[in-house]
Amino acid sequence: MASIGAQIKRGSAELAVLTLLARTPLHGYEIAKQIEEQSGGVLRFDMASLYPMLYGFERRSWVKAEWETLANGRRRRCYRLTPLGRKQLAPLRAQWRDFFRAFQSLTGFQDA
Amino acid sequence: MPDWKLIVHKRLPILSVASPESAEELAGHLEDRYEGYLRAELSADIALQHTLDEIELTRGNWLTLRLLKEDIMKGFTRRIGLPGVLAFAAAMAIAWALDLAHIQPKTIFLANGLFLPLPIVWLCLLPFCGALGAIISRRNGGTRLDRMIAGAFPAVILFSVLVLIFFAGWAISFLAADYSWNWAMAVPALALWMAGYGIMTAIALLAGAAVLEQAQKRSMQSM
Repeated sequence: MASIGAQIKRGSAELAVLTLLARTPLHGYEIAKQIEEQSGGVLRFDMASLYPMLYGFERRSWVKAEWETLANGRRRRCYRLTPLGRKQLAPLRAQWRDFFRAFQSLTGFQDA
Repeated sequence: MPDWKLIVHKRLPILSVASPESAEELAGHLEDRYEGYLRAELSADIALQHTLDEIELTRGNWLTLRLLKEDIMKGFTRRIGLPGVLAFAAAMAIAWALDLAHIQPKTIFLANGLFLPLPIVWLCLLPFCGALGAIISRRNGGTRLDRMIAGAFPAVILFSVLVLIFFAGWAISFLAADYSWNWAMAVPALALWMAGYGIMTAIALLAGAAVLEQAQKRSMQSM
């Protein structure tokens, strides 16, 4: 069960980050902040889980990271979804949609 | 305002030295996080404590390890080197298993005392190793060329070993008084072994990588 739990956690985190990046390029803190805000505080990312995942995406060429200088003069590394990353997102979304439908049908949860 | 670059440098010293860009990125994250807490009307002390919690000892070490791993895996190592070495290890494991099972190479004797032990079963299984190298390379973001090189990497190693043995034998002939180097025998022997262990190995490995490439191309098209 522990390994299934870890897989779900990892898979859902990947889906959340890729979904956000599909909308707009973001830097690490913005990603963590938006996930927290949009999930009503249910999902929280700390640096130890977020950055290794982003670096892993970069290694697989799913995202491209570039340094940008913000209006306040600070440098931030901005992550942008690549066409390959977009291609990965589509089946990931389909898998999770199927998973939730199956889970709803199994448990009777309407809000799962 | 705390100096976040300095804090990251002190708390994650290995990361700061090994990957300054990662350290700078994390410092920026902590800076934004801290300001976020201040905007949420936390006191400066509590905001600082909450922010520092993100890089407390265990988390900080874990983060350093994982980020350095990702850094090391970038570039050639992750796309060609590691997949290639794993493919080579798989090829050697198969050779070892075949030896344990007493499946010996077929020795082909040629004129002039030349011979070549041809490991037919091993060669037949090598496409799986080529495919393994290509899969790992693909997973690590390798291009098509990277995947092919990673798949054929065991052949590159075998080529190198054969050339090394050749020149080592030649060098020994200068050192050992009772050992003579016969170019007329050595060069054809090298060519023969390179054909058997280098070129045929490369063909078998590339076949596996190419089949995998086609299969993945079809599966992407059908999605």
